[in-house]
Amino acid sequence: MGGYLGSYATLGLLLAVGVLFFLVAMTANRLLRTNRPSAAKSTTYECGLDPVGGDWAQAQIRYYVYAYLYVLFAVEAVFLFPWAVIFDDPGFGMTAVVEMGIFVGVLALGLLYAWRKRVLQWT
Amino acid sequence: MNGFTIATPAQVLAIDVRLPDLDYAAMAPMLVLFGAACLGVLVDAFAPRQSRHTIQFALSFIALTVALLAVIREARVGSRELTADVALAIDGPTLFLQGTLAVLGIVALLLVGERALEKGGPFVSQAAIPVGSEADRRQAREEGATEVFPLTLFALSGMMLFVAANDLLTMFVALEVFSLPLYLLCALARRRRLVSQEAALKYFLLGAFASAFFIFGMALLYGFAGTVSFGGIHDAALLATTSPLLLFTGLAMVAVGLLFKIAAVPFHVWTPDVYQGAPTSVTAFMAACTKVAAFGGLLRVLYVAFDRARWDIEPVIGTIAILTMLVGAILAVTQTDIKRLLAYSSIANAGYLLVGALAFSKEGLSSAMFYLAAYGFTVIAAFAVITLVRDDDGEATHLSRWAGLGREAPLVAGVFTFLMLAFAGIPLTSGFTSKFAVFGAALGVGEAWPVALVIVGVVTSMILAFPYLRVVVMMWLSEPAEQSPTVAIPGAFTSAALMVGVLATLLLGVFPSPVLDLADRAAEFIR
Amino acid sequence: MTTADVLMLALGAVAVGAAAAVVTTRQIVRAGLWLVVALGSLAGLYLVLSAELVAWVQVLIYVGAVVVLLLFAVMLTRAPIGVSEDLDRSRWPGLLIGGGAGLGLAALLIDAYQWSTVDLADGAGAEEVGAAIFRSWVLPFEVLSVLLLAALVGAIVISRPDVSARVGR
Repeated sequence: MGGYLGSYATLGLLLAVGVLFFLVAMTANRLLRTNRPSAAKSTTYECGLDPVGGDWAQAQIRYYVYAYLYVLFAVEAVFLFPWAVIFDDPGFGMTAVVEMGIFVGVLALGLLYAWRKRVLQWT
Repeated sequence: MNGFTIATPAQVLAIDVRLPDLDYAAMAPMLVLFGAACLGVLVDAFAPRQSRHTIQFALSFIALTVALLAVIREARVGSRELTADVALAIDGPTLFLQGTLAVLGIVALLLVGERALEKGGPFVSQAAIPVGSEADRRQAREEGATEVFPLTLFALSGMMLFVAANDLLTMFVALEVFSLPLYLLCALARRRRLVSQEAALKYFLLGAFASAFFIFGMALLYGFAGTVSFGGIHDAALLATTSPLLLFTGLAMVAVGLLFKIAAVPFHVWTPDVYQGAPTSVTAFMAACTKVAAFGGLLRVLYVAFDRARWDIEPVIGTIAILTMLVGAILAVTQTDIKRLLAYSSIANAGYLLVGALAFSKEGLSSAMFYLAAYGFTVIAAFAVITLVRDDDGEATHLSRWAGLGREAPLVAGVFTFLMLAFAGIPLTSGFTSKFAVFGAALGVGEAWPVALVIVGVVTSMILAFPYLRVVVMMWLSEPAEQSPTVAIPGAFTSAALMVGVLATLLLGVFPSPVLDLADRAAEFIR
Repeated sequence: MTTADVLMLALGAVAVGAAAAVVTTRQIVRAGLWLVVALGSLAGLYLVLSAELVAWVQVLIYVGAVVVLLLFAVMLTRAPIGVSEDLDRSRWPGLLIGGGAGLGLAALLIDAYQWSTVDLADGAGAEEVGAAIFRSWVLPFEVLSVLLLAALVGAIVISRPDVSARVGR
């Protein structure tokens, strides 16, 4: 085990340990605990008051726009990685900087628009 | 089993660092539109509310005019080249279709920008506001959404890129750039919002599905050819060592994505609902410009990348063309809504265009391009008329409401009659010349499939004439209904769009030769 | 079998199983969470195939951002948390089409490549991708930013809380 895949062995091991830890803990819990379910136990507990009505609420669209903004800048970040690796290589330099500048600039335009439309303001 | 041989780092780094030559003059039309759209976003963010509409309209209009001039300049120079590292092909069809897109875009923009018919214009933002609520009443007093202009420009720039794209990747990005704004535009209607949103959602979901097909096909073709450029696929088809099944499945999937956009049967189911639900000016834009762009892309894929697979493609796409013509024509007969009728007619027209495309000849290409231009003008004018026939509730699109319109408003009814006759393919209209050109090109090949297609084309044209003529008869000979809709006095923009559309329909019918010659000279792809 | 082969098979099985769970579960939120597993194991597959950058892009964009977006979209709808009986319709046609398409494509790829071998690079990824983007694919790359902008503007136009209302308050 070496080379490329070996370099990920630690990560794989960590993942395996994490999954194992979760499984062992939950299984031990299940084996050791007593199990006497009742209707009262499965109601929502909120400061000792009886809950009234359903627990479902429609989320505000604002959350969605924020989540979308996150996607937008995640995509931008994803393109920044390969760019950061190569822009210093011979033959790229200024051109690559300008190209990335345009890309980031256009996305910044979107942020500017969102800001002016008060999407970024919560209240 | 599979051994993993690891490439040395030196191999990885042995990269040719030559940057692509970008021919900015050839890319100018797209760049101008992209720039103007971005500027439009800024205008919407910063300009005062009252002046936004004026600024946006002027900006879009100027941008499209400049783009048109850039196309004309490029055509004068006679550019024939691949640029941006073969991502773009600037050749005759590209320039012809880009020019067509610019002109049709300007005419459609006139409709989109029209505000005389309805206070604040036909578009609103946040269309999810329930009818009758406080927010709704406030919105009724406000200016409509002006984001439609940058969105339209985004769509048009994507279309221009689409017809020029010379590899599947660029084509896919362009496909998304022109589709996404269209999905959004569909959802912004001020009137009949639920239908509008339903249309947008259907279009979006099915469109996303079609895009997924396209991209999967692209992956298979890459697996086949080791490249996504059309020239590369063309060469690989010749020297293939991999299974040709990969090529055909890839082509089939890419074709599904494209046939969805041109609304060919069986990928047409979205068309009637979307055409009906979208704001009418957007429908006009879609019917004219999307068709041009999508067909431009399809023609390039078929003629440049797959012309060697022609004999295998012909039966499949030929069957689709026959189905498209038949289903479009027959279902058009049963429609009771004028927008749905035009949607089915648009489906049938996609079939006629496929007849031209399947000729696989220079004449086939040029006639299809001519058809696209001619059909675009007529259909925009027809939808412009539909925006005029209104009652309290917005546009009266049910056919029964159009009864007796000839007495109420002879001029508008006359114009619509002319357009219907053009659709039906009566001589001295562009509908006749374009159908004649397409069928002629197919017959000129003199093989079994094209001839069969022409026969179906002629038969369906006769079927299709019936619903058109029924509308005409209804307008002139029926008694008006109890509460007949009023015909709004068109604003300057709508009048201009109507005038251009009708004149183009007439001129392309009477003196088609200049444009036919232009299309003929342009009809040569480069690889 | 090499380690890579074992990993490929295991991750593939997880991906297929999770994807099946996405379309069969009756709880829409769980479908979203199963999607995380499916997309995550796909990222693992990319990693085994030594496409490191693509793998982490998969994690960052799809597992991270897109699923969050999906879950917010679910929360926007009137779908209650819990079992939705109307989530499934006509299982058999779905199974037939989905399974048929999957098997057909698998057969196609197996037929096309049979036992041909491909050498894998040493998991660099970023440099080739970077060079390819900024050398050959500059134009689609720049256009992508425009696409993202258009989508953002569209999302805001469609959903924008009424600005003037809050000015008046």
